[in-house]
Amino acid sequence: MATNIRKVILIRTYTAFAFVAVFAMVIVAYLFKIQYLEKKHWLALADHLSTSIQTVEPSRGNIFAADGSLLATSLPIYDLRLDGKAPAFQDEEIFSNQLDSLAYCLATEFEDRSKAEYKRILTNVKNRGDRYYLLKRKVNYTQMKRVKQFPIFREGKYKGGLNIEEKNRREKPFDYLAERTIGYSVKGIAPVGIEGAFDKELAGKPGKRVMQRIAGGTWIPVNDEEQQIEARNGLDVMSTIDVNLQDVAEQALLNTLIKNKAEWGTAILMEVKTGEIKAIANLTRVAEGQYTEKYNYAVGESLEPGSTFKITSMMALLEDGKAQMTDMYDTEGGKKKYFANATMYDAEEGGHGMVNFQQAFEISSNVAISKAVYAAYKNNPEKFYNHLKRLKLTEPIGIQLSGEGKPRIKHPKDKDWYGTTLPWSSIGYEVKVTPLQIVTLYNALANNGKMVKPIFVKQILKTGTPIKEFKTSVMVEQVCKPSTLKNLHAMMKGVVEHGTATNLKNPNYTVAGKTGTALVADGRYGYAKQIYRSSFVGFFPADQPKYTCMVMVNAPSNGIYYGSLVAGPVFKELADKVYATSTNLHKELKYVVTPETPQLPPAKIGFADDLKAILDKLSISSQMQADTEEESGSEWAVAELQANNVKLRTIKTSKQFIPDVKGMGLKDAIYLLENAGLKVQTEGYGKVKSQSINPGEPVTKGATINLKLG
Amino acid sequence: MSTWERIRPRGDMFMWGIIFILSIWGLLAIYSSTGALAYKKNGGNVEMYLMQQAALLCVGFFIMFVIHTIHYKYFIGLSKLLLWITYPLLIYTLIFGIEINGAKRWVNFFGITIQSSDIAKLAIIMFVTRELSRKQETIDDFKKTFLPILGHITLICLLIAPENLSTALVLFSTCFLILFIGRVKIKHLLLITGVVALAGGLFFTTLFLLPENALKGTGRLLTWKNRIESFGKKETDPDKTFQNDHAKIAIASGGLFGKWPGNSTERNFLPEAYSDFIYAIIAEEYGLVGALLMLILYLFFLYRAMRMVLKSPKAFGALIAVGLSFSLVLQALINMAVAVNVFPVTGLTLPLVSKGGTSILLTSVAFGIIMSVSRYVEQDEPETEAENNIQENTLTAGHE
Repeated sequence: MATNIRKVILIRTYTAFAFVAVFAMVIVAYLFKIQYLEKKHWLALADHLSTSIQTVEPSRGNIFAADGSLLATSLPIYDLRLDGKAPAFQDEEIFSNQLDSLAYCLATEFEDRSKAEYKRILTNVKNRGDRYYLLKRKVNYTQMKRVKQFPIFREGKYKGGLNIEEKNRREKPFDYLAERTIGYSVKGIAPVGIEGAFDKELAGKPGKRVMQRIAGGTWIPVNDEEQQIEARNGLDVMSTIDVNLQDVAEQALLNTLIKNKAEWGTAILMEVKTGEIKAIANLTRVAEGQYTEKYNYAVGESLEPGSTFKITSMMALLEDGKAQMTDMYDTEGGKKKYFANATMYDAEEGGHGMVNFQQAFEISSNVAISKAVYAAYKNNPEKFYNHLKRLKLTEPIGIQLSGEGKPRIKHPKDKDWYGTTLPWSSIGYEVKVTPLQIVTLYNALANNGKMVKPIFVKQILKTGTPIKEFKTSVMVEQVCKPSTLKNLHAMMKGVVEHGTATNLKNPNYTVAGKTGTALVADGRYGYAKQIYRSSFVGFFPADQPKYTCMVMVNAPSNGIYYGSLVAGPVFKELADKVYATSTNLHKELKYVVTPETPQLPPAKIGFADDLKAILDKLSISSQMQADTEEESGSEWAVAELQANNVKLRTIKTSKQFIPDVKGMGLKDAIYLLENAGLKVQTEGYGKVKSQSINPGEPVTKGATINLKLG
Repeated sequence: MSTWERIRPRGDMFMWGIIFILSIWGLLAIYSSTGALAYKKNGGNVEMYLMQQAALLCVGFFIMFVIHTIHYKYFIGLSKLLLWITYPLLIYTLIFGIEINGAKRWVNFFGITIQSSDIAKLAIIMFVTRELSRKQETIDDFKKTFLPILGHITLICLLIAPENLSTALVLFSTCFLILFIGRVKIKHLLLITGVVALAGGLFFTTLFLLPENALKGTGRLLTWKNRIESFGKKETDPDKTFQNDHAKIAIASGGLFGKWPGNSTERNFLPEAYSDFIYAIIAEEYGLVGALLMLILYLFFLYRAMRMVLKSPKAFGALIAVGLSFSLVLQALINMAVAVNVFPVTGLTLPLVSKGGTSILLTSVAFGIIMSVSRYVEQDEPETEAENNIQENTLTAGHE
């Protein structure tokens, strides 16, 4: 019996072992199957599943203004996508419990859809099992941070079903300031401005990274240096633009355009020595009284310049000895008939009588100048053309920006060279150049005859260190003889002194330049529609030029169209600003030292303690004094010069009566008046000259008082 | 006698050798495969897991050594006590257990977290082998012998099942195998098979007929359904076959001789590469040869354990050794079967090889008992007695 038990146990043990062995054989068989029969399939899948090459986007470089302020930069922006198959979406408990609050959070965060709509979207995404549903585009960083903490999403990067894709958005901190010059670079659209021209530098180079999926579905970069190409971030570009001057240019141009109801305008400010463009504004009317940077006229628009072009005629005639400054010309009643249907008029009806060569330019006589050029070059027009060619007007300058306009100067052998071409070219018609070319030409004259190329970009920087500098390049070493230059300067100064632009004359700095009031050819109407293009180009200070500036305003329609009156003010405002901020342009102040009688500071009436502090600072002895009893103890005083000191006579102020603020600084005047409950409006600058409500009148609270300063 | 001779472990040296080789092998595989885990949790401090496992193995070896010096007869009495401790423990776990990865399987024991099914496994196998050896004479008695044993097995398994179905199923199968070896009537065994098939069939039909919503909040029912579904269906969604795909990629890319230790790439993708799917990593790094060798090592261990039945003077010793060996080897094979996708994912580890916490300690206890049997079988065996010449009465000596 026992033997039997043993035997049975042994047999059964072996049977069990056999069973286990069979099980083991099955495993072995599967091992073989995977290793040999399915090997290819799994290895292929391995490549597909486990690694992926991801592009690492570089961040685009910044564009800086000359002072380092940001003109264009890239900010991260996020697209939010949903994965309907994420665990948190598939988990019925989490999803149904938190769906409501998630929809609510999204609706309040974005305010673009109702809570019910979001609820429907989320449910649909879940039910369809969308893996890549676009929930919201262009979400900013702080929003993205908040959304990550919303219900369901907060379950985590993988589990929560929220995929965040980072992108870059180009941001221009100064908004439309120099917008077209900063430009853009968008795939499929012609590149514009610095962004377009320096796209290669700014863009950087995308990197590649081999990513592997690890446990939990997260992707990690493979630690294999060879398989990794670092993204090279874009380089930074430092432009020549001066933000402050650009702002002034833009604002002044805007004011002028609005005032003159003009179609568009452009203003360019160029530094004489370096050719650096400090400001370049381009405004186009988009609606009544509304303008925006839409097109870079300064650079891209090739157009008939009109009278500003006359400088080339004067230069050619002087260079070739065809004219002397004192040569006299008959303006023929302001009307010169060249051909049967080609009559040239002067702007002034009836002409200017007899003018000399210099006057012809100063008063911008079309008749006189065209006559001189026609007489000199009608037999050899190519010579005139060659002058223009030497002045680099026949070809584009080749600037750093994209989209430079092509000039059109007719050659005598061209098919469209007519008999009118020479006389009309001489006064800036039948030729087309860009405003930038005109500026470049005048800048050459300002720069002692040396023509330098305008530059917009000074440096290319890599993490703050310049790696490439753009030096000023010379286009023409000497555009004309020094004697010619001297004469041209005299003529250009004359334009402002006693010519067409006397309104630009000012005591602070001298200006030399030329006005332009061109009739605009408008399609099939020709010049008949009487549309003007007013411009002024010049440099300042005239004796030692620092800046050249051109302003052009197209189609002013408010009755005024003379270059000096339309474009001049913009020029002046810009020049004023430059003058105000560049102390090196100021004339040295002459100090008159008179130790006996101290000069009083300009604010003669004001807050007594302030006056005293100023006088003390200037080491002028002073003493407080009151004329009457009731005036003593007042905080306000009048400074009165005495024999050897200053008497600060205190004056009474009251809130019931209008105080006398004449002679006060604006700070004190506003303090007093607003304390009395008045609204203050001012005009001009300096000390208070007059006040609209007389002193001593009772105060009406809330009334407006106008102060004239001066 | 040299010092070594005095303190060296006794018993089957082949078996000791296999235990040692598997442990070291496991250590290497863990060192290699915890990369992803270390990357995520410890900032790349991979050695941490190596040290953890090494420390646990040291303790494990100590436990094995101590236990194997104790004569296995002492475990006879202990087995019943252990079983009575197991019941409240399992119930406690079900109610108050610590939840890890969505299943309540762990309890805290004086600061040590223990998977209570590990203890239950040990307890029920010891108890069954004890009962079988004691009741060999009345083994055919349905009421007196069969039912009580089956009752305990069923109860224990049912208590484990709610939170850890796979362990319960494997444990039940192992017990079934032990019952088979322990000479339980074939008729009775067939009865069990029939009942289990019927109950199982009924259970899973219900599971699949019920809509998913009805399964919400029913513990792990939904997980089971999904796992079995994903195994049964030809799944094409790469997200769901992620683990299995990568396990297969690992095996396929291993080739005949493997990529050599430390060169696995799939360890980075394969979740639980260091426990559930360590066999795939073994196949990748050591190739088909290595994978087969490991399989053979387990089988050889089982074979050596089986030989004790021939030698063991007392049935309990033989049965407990064979029972525990079957249990461990079966677990190993099921783990491998999961790796090659013969079985659905169960969560069973590869004994001695997988990274495990305290489960290593209980595995060590099991190995210790097996080695104790091996040791005392050899010692008790009369030197002159040949294997074939065993006294007939020795086998039944288990029930005095």
